[in-house]
Amino acid sequence: MSNSREEILHTIRKGLKGVSSEENFRKRNFSSEALEIQATINKQRADLKAQFISELGNVNTKILEANDEDDIDKVILNLAKEKKLESFSIWETQYLKDLKLKKNLRDKGLKLITAKNKNRIADSNIGITEVDYAIADTGTLVLLANKYQPRSVSLLPPIHLAIIKEEKLVRDIKDLFIILKSKLEVGQEITNCMTFITGPSRTADIELNLTLGVHGPRELYVLVC
Amino acid sequence: MGYHQIRFEKDSEKAIRNESLQKALVNVTDRFRSQRNKASSEVPNWEELRNSVRERKKETIANLDKYLLQLEESVVIAGGKVHWAKDSDDACQIILGIAKEGQVKSVVKSKSMATEEIELNDSFESSGIKVVETDLGEYIIQLAGEHPSHIIAPAIHKTKDDISKLFSEKLKIPYYEEPEELTVVARERLRSEFLNADMGVSGANFAVAETGTIVIVENEGNARLTTTVPKIHVALVGIEKLIPKYEDLSLFLTVLARSATGQKSSTYVSFITGPKKQTDIDGPEEFHLVLLDNGRSKILASEETKESLYCIRCGACLNNCPVYRHVGGHSYGWAYSGPIGAIITPQLMGIDKAPELPFASSLCGACHDVCPVKIDFPKVLLELRKNVVKSKEKSSRVGGALLEKTGIKFWRFTVEHEYLYKLLNKLLHYLQTPWKQSNGKLKSLPYPFSRWTDERDFPSVAKKTFRERWKEIR
Repeated sequence: MSNSREEILHTIRKGLKGVSSEENFRKRNFSSEALEIQATINKQRADLKAQFISELGNVNTKILEANDEDDIDKVILNLAKEKKLESFSIWETQYLKDLKLKKNLRDKGLKLITAKNKNRIADSNIGITEVDYAIADTGTLVLLANKYQPRSVSLLPPIHLAIIKEEKLVRDIKDLFIILKSKLEVGQEITNCMTFITGPSRTADIELNLTLGVHGPRELYVLVC
Repeated sequence: MGYHQIRFEKDSEKAIRNESLQKALVNVTDRFRSQRNKASSEVPNWEELRNSVRERKKETIANLDKYLLQLEESVVIAGGKVHWAKDSDDACQIILGIAKEGQVKSVVKSKSMATEEIELNDSFESSGIKVVETDLGEYIIQLAGEHPSHIIAPAIHKTKDDISKLFSEKLKIPYYEEPEELTVVARERLRSEFLNADMGVSGANFAVAETGTIVIVENEGNARLTTTVPKIHVALVGIEKLIPKYEDLSLFLTVLARSATGQKSSTYVSFITGPKKQTDIDGPEEFHLVLLDNGRSKILASEETKESLYCIRCGACLNNCPVYRHVGGHSYGWAYSGPIGAIITPQLMGIDKAPELPFASSLCGACHDVCPVKIDFPKVLLELRKNVVKSKEKSSRVGGALLEKTGIKFWRFTVEHEYLYKLLNKLLHYLQTPWKQSNGKLKSLPYPFSRWTDERDFPSVAKKTFRERWKEIR
């Protein structure tokens, strides 16, 4: 095995002999770039939100609206009634705790499936998450995995609902990677799994017919507040 | 169901006669083409982007040894294991070894051309390990015992009816006609495979040297499941998939989805850095990165063809190739088809194994025009053609190469001597009479000219040369 390693590196080095190997990376200060981006975004927030919502529509994502934060549980309960949902799984983030969603949904008879056994999340009818970022120009949700934010909640249930705070919006993927890089530069640990979600699961493998929900959630709901 | 030898001419003839395939090819390539054109035209600085992406790739390949070592280090820091595979056998042995150690009985796979290249499924099956393809297109292909015919739409050569019959026969279910119904069946079957699998095998679109992150782009969610549910995740990644910096991903992802399917962003992009953290509830406990060479490192040494390694496997060159659009993916005989297949198959396998492929192009350059990393396909193809001719000359076989060479020498001598040219013109004008049709075309000439007239008519030799006519009409 280590033989293969040496052999591969040797062939590469032999092949590259005489090739200029100059690395032309401009030294960048990502922290200050990220600050600038954040300042610009803050000024454009209303526009970004409108753009984001319109892009979501282009990728088969459904928009839910709540009058205010206290209203969110009612919106979800309405959806549960309409879709005849009986159970849910949910991220354990501070914001979702503050909204008391877990308690309020259980009080109304929805069964909570905890993430203790990862495969059981598949049994829940809806998975509720927050997002860490949202990309306005592609309608993309960005989710980072950690112990409070298991990956399966946005993956195994047939319906995924994401609750998005307006300040999570960035303009585009370029913004996002500068912000992420600035965090790495100050020593923040990288997540073992970041996921971009743009619309519900889809396939066109049978004669190019668009079919939703082949492996991941069939429906994606987004609630921006 | 391994690959047989490459017989482009024979297999493409078969493909051209297959009517439903012809229809499917036009459908898929037209759709992808127009979507890609629309998506790329919406990006104001598209050409600039292509230049930047190419520059990045060029710099990466020029420092590949350093970046590979950096990637190795980053993956280890993230808690993963790195394996180096010099060829297909090596890669299969490594992955089987990981499976053995983890007492793996069943494997789920997400779409990966690299695993197709090393024919990993055959290795698993002959070791008694169950392996299931989970991308819907790949699942269909696996049930049918075939190979993918398009890099991103593997089952595009199959009609809805073919698939309905296949599902009904192989899965012992009623005949479902609608794609939605078939998809539901596949979802249910595959979901239980996911939940019971011990190991997930994926490829990767990119591997980031500085963070050890592998990136997987998809629409279905099967790659997310493959890399989340089973306790072991193995990613097989070609050594050219490397990119140096984390922030480079924004460039590459911007061009990839738009070039491939014309989406602004694919439905899912997963960025995986090592196994799950101890405190995490889900995710794999083990992460293995298998770096695959299999002929790639040799390509580096050729100044003329090394840009073949810049490819990000978007498939845009397939959709825009007039040859691919007629002969389909299977004619190329291996994992990679279309213009990219025509240039990398002969280089990875050895030019003797695929001497026809560099000629499977009209050199029109449509592939070059759409390639997000601006690979100069015509240039690379010509270089490979040169190599084919050289290698044929070396072999003792007296074949087309010698005939062509002699023919060209004779032609050159003739055009350099005007009297001879005129004489020959007169001579041929009378000699051709037995083959001349009423429409003035030559229909079936004797060998070696039959190689032309088998395919199409040859214009007859005119009575007067151009110079003679010019004198008259001036």
